[in-house]
Formats: sequence, C-alpha cells, structure tokens
Amino acid sequence: MRQEDWSKLARIMSKRSLWMVHFCTGCGAMEMPPVLTSRYDMERFGMISMATPRQADVLLVTGYLAVKTLKRLVQVYEQMRDPKYVVGFGSCTINGGMYWDSYNTIKDLSKYMPVDIYIAGCMPRPEAIIDAFLKLMDMIDKGEATGWKKYHKYYKQYKRNQKMAFSYRLDEVKDIEEGDGK
Amino acid sequence: MVMNIITSILVMSGMVALGFAIGMLFNGIARKVVARIHNRVGPPVYQGYIDVFKLFSKKTNISHGWIFDLAALFSVGGIALTFLFLPVAGVSMLSGEGDLFLILYLIAIPALGFALGAGASGNPNAAVGMMRALMMMLAYELPIAMVIVAMMVYYNTTSLAGIVAMQSNLKWAIGIPPFLIGALVADMALQGMLMEKPFDIPLAPHEIATGPLVEFGGKHLGSIILYKMMGTVVETTLFVDLFLGGGVVLNVNQFGWFAYLVNFIVWFVLILVVFLIAVIINAVFPRFRIEQALKFYWKYDALVALFILFWIFSGVMV
Amino acid sequence: MLVEIFITMLILALVAAALNKYPKISGIVTFFASLIPFLVVISWSQDIGLSFPQFLKFFTLEKSLNYNIGIATFMLKITPLGWFFLLLLASAFPMAILFSITFIKKNAGGFYAAMITSMIGSMGILLAQDILSFYMFWEIMSWSILALVMRSHDKKAIMSYLSFGVLSAMLILLGIMLLYSETGTFVFSEMGFMANNTTLIALSLLVSGFAVKGVLVPMHVWAPYVYSRSEEPFVAFLSGGLSKLGYFAMILFMYSVVGISVLNSWGTFRDVSIFGYTLAFIGALTAFIGTVLAIMQDDLRKLLAYSSIGQLGYIAIGIGIGTPLAMTGALFQALNHTFFKSALFLAAGAVYYRTGKWKISELGGLGYKMPFTFLAVLFAIFALAGIPITSGFAAKWLLYEAAIQKKFLFITPIMLIAGVGAFLYSYKILYGVFLGEPRHNVKEAPLSQLAAMWLLVLPLIIFLIFPGWFVDLTSPILKWYGLMPISHTPYTITTSLAAYNTLAVILALIGGLILAFALYFSKPQKVVPHTDNYLAGEPPELYEHISMHAASKYYEPFDEVFYPFFKRGAEMCWMAILKFVKILGEGARAIYTGIVNDYSIYILIFFLLLVGWWLIW
Repeated sequence: MRQEDWSKLARIMSKRSLWMVHFCTGCGAMEMPPVLTSRYDMERFGMISMATPRQADVLLVTGYLAVKTLKRLVQVYEQMRDPKYVVGFGSCTINGGMYWDSYNTIKDLSKYMPVDIYIAGCMPRPEAIIDAFLKLMDMIDKGEATGWKKYHKYYKQYKRNQKMAFSYRLDEVKDIEEGDGK
Repeated sequence: MVMNIITSILVMSGMVALGFAIGMLFNGIARKVVARIHNRVGPPVYQGYIDVFKLFSKKTNISHGWIFDLAALFSVGGIALTFLFLPVAGVSMLSGEGDLFLILYLIAIPALGFALGAGASGNPNAAVGMMRALMMMLAYELPIAMVIVAMMVYYNTTSLAGIVAMQSNLKWAIGIPPFLIGALVADMALQGMLMEKPFDIPLAPHEIATGPLVEFGGKHLGSIILYKMMGTVVETTLFVDLFLGGGVVLNVNQFGWFAYLVNFIVWFVLILVVFLIAVIINAVFPRFRIEQALKFYWKYDALVALFILFWIFSGVMV
Repeated sequence: MLVEIFITMLILALVAAALNKYPKISGIVTFFASLIPFLVVISWSQDIGLSFPQFLKFFTLEKSLNYNIGIATFMLKITPLGWFFLLLLASAFPMAILFSITFIKKNAGGFYAAMITSMIGSMGILLAQDILSFYMFWEIMSWSILALVMRSHDKKAIMSYLSFGVLSAMLILLGIMLLYSETGTFVFSEMGFMANNTTLIALSLLVSGFAVKGVLVPMHVWAPYVYSRSEEPFVAFLSGGLSKLGYFAMILFMYSVVGISVLNSWGTFRDVSIFGYTLAFIGALTAFIGTVLAIMQDDLRKLLAYSSIGQLGYIAIGIGIGTPLAMTGALFQALNHTFFKSALFLAAGAVYYRTGKWKISELGGLGYKMPFTFLAVLFAIFALAGIPITSGFAAKWLLYEAAIQKKFLFITPIMLIAGVGAFLYSYKILYGVFLGEPRHNVKEAPLSQLAAMWLLVLPLIIFLIFPGWFVDLTSPILKWYGLMPISHTPYTITTSLAAYNTLAVILALIGGLILAFALYFSKPQKVVPHTDNYLAGEPPELYEHISMHAASKYYEPFDEVFYPFFKRGAEMCWMAILKFVKILGEGARAIYTGIVNDYSIYILIFFLLLVGWWLIW
C-alpha cells in the first residue's frame, strides 16, 4: 500500500475514535454531561473523554478564558500528540461573548492556538455540539482539519501572541513589538 | 524436527494474534454492554480495533527516556509470553514447559515493565497509581493463592495443563462443592485482577488521572492498551482453565479437527461469560478506596478461602 | 597446605592492618587475600565429586587435617555441604572487598583485617569436623563481626549485636554441652544418637542459637540495626555471606550430626518430621513478617535488612521440609540470596557514595544518572522478587513444588503472599531511588564498585539459563545425605508435579519482545524532560520548590492497615525480657554497691563467720 492510502486509512480510523480532554473553564461544561450520558450518548461515535492531554486527540475549550487560564491551556495543548484538534465552545471563545469588555479575558482563541471548529451559542445545545463533532469528523476524513500543522508552521507568531497576552506591563508588550521589528 | 518447530512457532504466533484480536473485541463488547446497561447506544463492538489502530497511527510520540520505553516493550512482550504458557481450549502451546506458579510469576513481567515506565515518567499521579496497583495485587493475590493451592493439593499436580486434563469428560472443578465456593472467591479476585469496578482503584480517572497511564500516549499507550486487552483474555482463560475445564468438551483424539473447533467455541463463550460477569458488576458499582479493597480481600474473601483450605485439609488427612 | 593457607591469610590481614595509612593499597592487598579462599574452593571441586576441568585445580590440597594440641584434636575436612557454602562465601567476599577499595576511607586497615579474620573464621566453621573447632571458629567469626559493627559507633547497633551474639553463643554452648554429655565425644562422625528428650532439647538450643545468625523470627531484632548502621561492603558480606553460616550449621546438625531418622522418631507429619515442620513454619512466618516490615521502611538500608530477613526465611522452609526438592530449593535460594542481596547492599552503598543519602524519600531519578547501577539493581530485584528473568524464580519454584508435594496447605499461601509482598518493596526501591523526579546531579558509580555489583549479578543470569548446572553442584550434597538428586537436564527441572523449562521461557520472552519491538519501532519518538509532565496544566516552573517525587510515605494505606498488628513486635517482647533481667540485676546491685567500705564490711563479716565456724567446729 502507498503512503497516501495509509494516511487515508489512519484518518478514517481516527475520526471514529476521537478521545477528548475537556478544558472546563466556564459554564459551557454544563452542557457536556447530557452529551456524554444516555440522552445524547456521544460514545456511539467512538468519542470518550480522557483524563490527560497525553492520551487525547481533541481539546475542548468550554467557555471563556482568563489570561491565567490561557497559560494552562497552552501547556495542555502542547502536551497533546499530533494530530490534535481544538474545538472552541460557545461565544466566549469566538469574540469574548458576554465578557467582550473584560480586562482579563482573551477575546479570540484562534489568536493563540489554531481552532479547527467553533460552536456558536451561549450556550450551545447538545444537538449543536454533536453536530459540530460530526462536522469535525467529516473534516478529518477529508483532511481539512489541519490546525496542528498550522501551529507548527506559525509557531513563532502564536508564541508571540501568547506572550503578549501573558505580559501585564506595557513596557513588556512594547519589547515584544519592538522585537518583531528587528 | 525442523518442520515440527516451524509448525509450532506458526501455531503459537497464530494463537497470540488470536489472543490480541479477542482482547480488542472484548474491549468493544464491554463498552457496548456497559452502554446498554446505562440505556445508551454505545460504540460498535469493533471499537477496540479502531482505538488501537488510531493510537499507533499518531504522528508524534513523546517518551521520557529509555526506562520509559521499557514499559511498551515489556508489557506487550510479557503478556504474549504469559499467554503462550496457558492451555487454551485444550491446546497446550508451552504449558508443558512450566506450571501454574510460573504463570503467576510470568504475569508479573508485563506488570513490572509497565511499573518501570510509569515510574520513569516522573509524574506523581503515576507513582500513586502504581502504589495502588501493587497493593491491589497484594490484596487479591491472597485469596486466589489459597484457592489455587487447594486445587493443586486436590489434583496433586501444579501444572495447569494437568489440572485441565483432570477435568476432562466434563468433570469440571466447579462441580466439586469446595471449588464451587472457590470459584466465587476467585471471581471476586478476578474483578480486582481485571481492574474493573469496584476495584479500578489504580486507574481512577477522576482522582489521579488514570494513575500509571497518565504520561502514556500514542504508541506507548497503544502498547499498554494491547497489554490490558490481552490481559483480560489471559486472566479469564486462567479462570476457565482452573474451574471450567479449560473449555474442553470433546476429546481431540476421538473427533479430530471438529473437536478443536467445538472446544475453541466453548472456550470463547466461557471466557466471554466470565468477562461479562465482571463487566456487569463493573457497570453498576462505584469505587472502593484502596484500604477498603485490602480489607475486603483479606477479611472476607480470604476467610472463605481459608474455609476451603480447611475443607481440603480434612479431606487430605483422610 | 591447609594450615599454610590459614596462616597466609592471617599474615595478609596483619599486612592490611599495617597499611592503615594507605587505604587503597591496603584494599588491593586484601583483595588478593580474598581471592585465596575462592581459588581454594575451586581446587577442591574434584575432591567432592564434581567434574570441573583439570586446569581449575590451582592448589593440591589435602582433604582433611587433624591437629592435635594435647587435650583435644581439631579435625578439619572438606565435605560437599561445607564446599558449597564455602563457594558462596568465597565468591561474595572478594566482591565486597573490591567494592570497599573506593568506599572505605577511614581506618581502612582495621576494616580489612577484621574482614579477613571473619572469612578465616567462616572457612574454619565450614571445614570443622568436631564440636570444639566448630565452636572456636564460630567465636572467631562472631567477634570479628563485632569489631566491624563497632566501627559504626552506634550504641544501639553494637548493643543489640553484642547481646544477641552472646545469647546465640550461650545457646550453642549449652547445646554442645548437652550433646557431649549425651554422647561422650566431640567428633561429629563418632556421635551416636538416641532419640530421647535430651537430644531434642540440645538440637532445639543449637538451632535457635544458629537462628540468630540466620535472622529467623523472633531472633531477627538485631539485624535491622546492625545492617542499617554499619558500612555497606561489610553489610553486604554479613547479609549475603555470613548469615548463610547459620543455615549451614542448621543443615549440619539436623541432617548430618543428629540425622533424619532421629528427627523422624520424634514424630512426623506427612513424612516430614515435626521438628522440621516447626522450622518450616517459623521460616514462613519470617518470610511474611520480614516482607511486611520491609514494605513499611523508608531507610534504604533498613528496607534491605528486613527484605533480607524475609528472603532468608525461605531457606529455613526448605531446610525444614528436607526432601530432595526442598533441599535443592533451599540451597538455590541461599546461592541467589548471596548474590542478589550482596549486589543490592553494594548498590545502596554506591548510591550513598554519590549522593550521601539513605532515605528513599530524599533520593530519586538516579536511573538516568547511574544507568549501570540501575540495571544491576534491576536484575538483583528480579532475582529477589522471583521474576523468571533471573535464577531467583527457580529457587522459589523448587520450594513451592516441595511444599505442594508434601501437601502443606497453610505454608504455601504464606510463601506465595510473601513473594507478592516482595514486589511491593522492590518497586519502592526502584521508584524511590532510581525512577521519578531527578533530584541529584551525580555521576555513575566508580568502576570498582560497578565491577563488584555486576560480577555478583552475573551468576544470577547464568543460573537462569542453566538451572541444571546448579542441580549438578548440589547433587554431591544430596548424595551425601542419601537423597536422590532431582531429575534435570541443563535447562529443565522435572518434579513429580510439573516441569520447568527455562529455555522455553527465554525463547518465548525473546519472541514476545520481537513482537513488541516491531510495534515499538513503528513510529519515531522524541524524548522530553521530566518537567514536561501532565500536572493538570500547571506550568512546572511555578513549582520548582515543590517536590514531584511521591516517594515519601509511599505505602501509607498499607502502613495504616498493618501498623496495629505490628505495633507490639518481637522487639517489645525482648524488651520485656530485658526489663526482667534488669530487675534481677538491680537485686544484685543492692549487694555490689561499689563502695569500698561496704566491701570491707563484707570481708569482715566473712572472716567473722569463718572464725566463728572454726571456733564452733
């Protein structure tokens, strides 16, 4: 068999066996129990929640991210093995949601790590979540879910954005921006 | 001579492949059964194969050094080795070359390799999980050791193949009153061996993040999961060999290949039944704490086992 | 020739002591002295009926030696049993010395001199053919050990060794006196025994005296203190080598001097003498108690000391059962224990040499820093726990088989559970010292220390593949006792119950590992440091000051469950006896006040009584 056939087979297999790690930051995590248990039962698609990022394929960011939390999120994301996918859950990860004017939450998750698929809503219903995962599976099958490749390619930029978010003094931000110029 | 060796190597590799295949199938069946008990649809029964394939197809793999890698090597290698020393459906691959004591110690090889890897990761969760796993081992080993010793003395052989041969013509050990109770004791111990609830203390995903498995991922986790899956087959086969005559119903000398076929089907059904009992208990129970498990095995289970020992003892004296 | 060898070793001991100022030179001299017993024992191999090649005959030695000093004759003679134990001691001894060349720095001459003297004493014990020379050499060995224990400057260790050593000497002396009064001769071969109570009491006294050296419960109390406070090379030799002398003496007196027929005449239980059964039961108890206490320890040396107690219990089980299987098992366990326990104590010494720490909870992550030490420890632990990757399993297997053959329903589960307990404390050593978070930036141990450890591990691997060779080694002993050697080929052992084929196990393991390798090399990998660990997303740099090493109170739930049962241990029992002795002593103290005036009054009263008695008479 050729290399392409192998990777095609691997994609077909891995879409049916997505192990996820929830990064439960906000209220969105409340919607996960119905998805996991008998009402909507996500395990019929081979999806189960794992305890650690080492074992997981999907990072589920459920809700708003304070700057302090982002540090942990990046740590978790970098500990996952490729190929890995990120699902942004709820409006908070898209544009800050109801925390749009907060001083210490980040507004756009995709600035800090590549997000493969967003689920809009405050909060999204379990049906929406399952729909998103089916979409993600479709994308994996077609080879479109390439966020992890993007992270390797634009690693410097992502790191810069993360550093900007973590720095809390103006001169630090300035240093980073000046560093870009040089 | 050479042909014989080549044939036996082929048979053994085939059996190991079959063991791994059945192990992966059992994983899917267990998840399906638990899902049905929870009133869910559940994953397809072939989910185990998909999971293992996916884990081995991960693009990057992270190791913590060469001691960490020993886990992947020794767990798969050791469990395959253990399987070869079991009589499976009356086919004794290498079981004439060792006995039950050897099997009890061979099971420790993959466990020790796994423990080395877990320790080498340097994660405190792994260390705590390993501590619990070893204490569980100490806990369930006492009742099962008592029952096994009673059986060895009763059948006057320490060879597992010998015990299976003694139970031929459907004279299963479970039909003898002390060993009927012994089978119950051993089944409780099996629950701990398989790390099903209420004895899944070493893994405990919600407390210590799957314990020893915490740092494993990709091909390393794949190896460990293969070991766990094969482990279910090995442990249930051990139980079936001890108490249910190893699944041998037809004499091979009399019926030829047909007997092999029937025996394999009966063996498969029996290990499935034994495994499903464990899975069903698993589906409805919460988790013990480790000292509760130790007390359960050493107080109640071992007490019943001691009763069996006295029963056999009185018989031996006569 | 034999006397010359003793004298040469004594002179070399004096030379080593004289070279006190130059520890390394003194050590090298001692190392050459320590090779003499090994060459001697190999040279003797043909005399006891083993087919060793001719070129291994380094010395032409007489088989026996009678040395008359007027009032009594000292008789020394090589016997198969003595030869076997001499082989064990003579192979462990040079390794301990090789290790100490770099390890011992302070007052080295005294250390080496005492070590050689203890070896001379052991050689004498193993060759002795009469009670007098046996007892004399036993005391030489015991007192040179005391000299080595004194070097620890630890009051508790010295006092416990001294008191138990004296207790042991008293018990042995009492037993010897009873034997002499019963038979009227000192020579073993001339003793004809009657199966009466005096012999039983004498034998019980002797065996309990030897149990002190063999650290059987309840005579084990001194061992943890001495093992944990003395220098490691000495402890390695004490635990690995000298403790076997107790078991040698037990076999000698039970099966050679008194004889199996006399033992059986005191009553049998399933064809095993009640005396032997009791010893086997005490052995099983020792194995269990030693194991449980080992699991509870945090000090590396104390853990090894208790595990040593537990492992030695297995030898007592084999000696007690006394069938060919059991005897082979006991001797095999003695051999394994000599090598793996010496290696483990030496490794503990190497770890201390590099890090300066004994506590398991303070060590960690040395596996990547000291890989060769780690591998030696790993193999030693395989042997200790009975994993079938070293010869440790074969010994335990023989003992299990022997117990099942005699239908011992209660001893076998205790042995099995002690075997599982060994996994627990083995993993405590592996994780606490060598795995986990690296906390010490140290180098690998020095070459001489590594060489000593690896040479000790080597026999464990050789006898894994060829357990039949070991059975060949012991068959002269079994023949000597009139037992049939067990049936074997180089790599299989067959009993009436089952067979064990080491070649099949090894080939199957290699096959399994090939399969695992194929899976393992399917994908590339990268190595990350331990700081890149899943800690619920916490960045590790925030926790630099917090230890990630979970080795402190490792088996806490286990301790909680078992502590109530072991709160009142054997030590408290001995303390109660000590208290009783103290009260007696206080009574005596009332007379011996230490004041000169009182004594003069006693003398006066005595004279007055004398005078009065004379007057009346």
